[in-house]
Amino acid sequence: MKYIAILIGKIFILIGKIFKRGSSLPGKIALKLDHKLLYQLKYPSNKILITGSSGKGSTTKLIAKTLRKENYRVCHNASGSNLEWGIATSILAKTNLCGKVNADYLVLECDERYVKKISTAICPTHLVVTNLTKDQPPRQHDIDEIYTAITKRLLSYTTIITNIDEPYLRKFELEFKNKIVYYSLAKNKYSYEKQIFENLNTYYCPNCFTRLEYDYYNFETLGKYSCPNCDFKYYKPNIIGTNLDLEKGTMKINYEEVLIGGYLLYHAYNTLCAYATLRSLNISHKHIINAFNEINKIHNTSFVSHDKTFYPLSCKAENATTYNQAIFRTIQDPSTKSIVLGWQEISRRYKHYDVSWLYDIEFELLNKDNVFNFYCCGPDKDNLKKRLLLAGISEDKIITDNNPYVIKDLVMSDEASCIYGILNFDYVSIFKDAFKEEK
Amino acid sequence: MITINVGHLYPNELNLYGENGNIKALKYALEKYSVQVNVTNINESDPIDFNQYDFLYIGSGRPIFLRKAKERLKIYKEEILNYLNQDKFFLITGNALSIFDFLGLYEVLIPDSRIVADIIGTSSLCNGMIRGFQNTEYLIKNLNNIIFNLDNPNGNDFSPFEGFKYHNLYVTSLIGPLLARNPNLTEYFAKKLREQKKTSNYLNY
Repeated sequence: MKYIAILIGKIFILIGKIFKRGSSLPGKIALKLDHKLLYQLKYPSNKILITGSSGKGSTTKLIAKTLRKENYRVCHNASGSNLEWGIATSILAKTNLCGKVNADYLVLECDERYVKKISTAICPTHLVVTNLTKDQPPRQHDIDEIYTAITKRLLSYTTIITNIDEPYLRKFELEFKNKIVYYSLAKNKYSYEKQIFENLNTYYCPNCFTRLEYDYYNFETLGKYSCPNCDFKYYKPNIIGTNLDLEKGTMKINYEEVLIGGYLLYHAYNTLCAYATLRSLNISHKHIINAFNEINKIHNTSFVSHDKTFYPLSCKAENATTYNQAIFRTIQDPSTKSIVLGWQEISRRYKHYDVSWLYDIEFELLNKDNVFNFYCCGPDKDNLKKRLLLAGISEDKIITDNNPYVIKDLVMSDEASCIYGILNFDYVSIFKDAFKEEK
Repeated sequence: MITINVGHLYPNELNLYGENGNIKALKYALEKYSVQVNVTNINESDPIDFNQYDFLYIGSGRPIFLRKAKERLKIYKEEILNYLNQDKFFLITGNALSIFDFLGLYEVLIPDSRIVADIIGTSSLCNGMIRGFQNTEYLIKNLNNIIFNLDNPNGNDFSPFEGFKYHNLYVTSLIGPLLARNPNLTEYFAKKLREQKKTSNYLNY
């Protein structure tokens, strides 16, 4: 049945290509024909699985593109389909009819809930965990459930690559004997000493659950921590990013400047994560930096229109941390600014309507004199307005409309010099289309 | 000027689903009536003086922190019952309901699987619809003294009746910013709190 499943899967991939429809259907059909198919393929010796609450897609792309630049053959689920069927489709596309995956590297972005299943089938050599934060509450419930889901089938020989700045991620080290490669972002000009975010619950010692003390925070619970009750504390790993400059979109790794591909802190962390993974695969420092600088230079998304600078900041709905990063970036800028907020839909995966995550976002930090107006767009404009009101923002600063094109004139005549779009990723192109000057 | 003292129990630990939206919504509603609202975060190592508060709130949390909160609060059983018998307010949302079975006022049910559901319902506490969300591994077992009539059978003991009320103790499996999503319910609490505070100020005078 294995060979028939591969053949049928590949036929459906071909049909998809002809009709320009990328989907997870070929993988679904192949797995229906042989649900153990993924267990029976011959994989390359390097199998990297990338997971986490956010950033896994960008990190996976950076790793895969860099490996391709090194002339390696890479099997990568580039479409972002990171559930079982999508992953199966990507693997089948690179598999010959004998069941051999024709690639030097398997580089797969994987949804947290599917790590167990995919790990069991492909036996990854590397498990990359970008982060674990509050995310998609109706589906992911809480961080402990996600951690358990990820570690349920953790193989003893799998190398774990993760961020030492987040104390919760040290659980891997405390509970497993696997080799762990850490990366860290050094204290930088954006670091702060007094916590400015509420609604966090991972700044407790994973060893004894005492509240950790921090020398500084890079963001939320990321920083230099130590437990006042036991010997658990941050230590400096080999891979460390320094000289972070979000305005320029750069940092340094081993004294060499590298583009991070955006203006947000998570761009730096994703870049470090990809760097740590590639170094674990013995790709040279020089080659990685060169590749990153080439790949990341196309990510400058700001634009000038009507004498204003527009910054579309892409966030992930139902993930307060990504919104907090955008807010954190926005308040670093001393210029006068107004904010556009919006999304098309909260989730494509389920029909639940849960807005609890909006109250985990620190909109209170935007309640400043140099933030002039808030334009709330999209179907949840009223929920956004309510949230801003409860953040203490004056009602006369809040403008709502379903359609950003309707408020275009207001935005263009706004007195602020910068317009920050704090947007779900499904609203970034709408933001650009609405406000970019026609040429 | 009326002053209302709000105590938020363990906001650093128990904050899974935008729980502090409830405090923000209540504060906002009370301040519209020129009530001064003092919010105190009651943290892990803080002793609790129940006499200080007019309204207490506790929300959902990770299992480890629910267990820790229960360990800490158990020693206050008599003080909590005394606080409730004085008709003072205590709102418990989401899986935090599992902490307070030690009070002996209601029983906790652990369903076979987690309940994740949109909620539309009504309540005798206020007019209009109640909209909320459930994301909980615990339900209330009792079918008496309910708060909400739901449109689905995800309530107490899998009935359409949800919540538990005792004096001014309000316990519900609905999560997070229940008050922020339901200004009608917030108004109920704001009105009752103001009335109670006015009466107590008058009696003290």
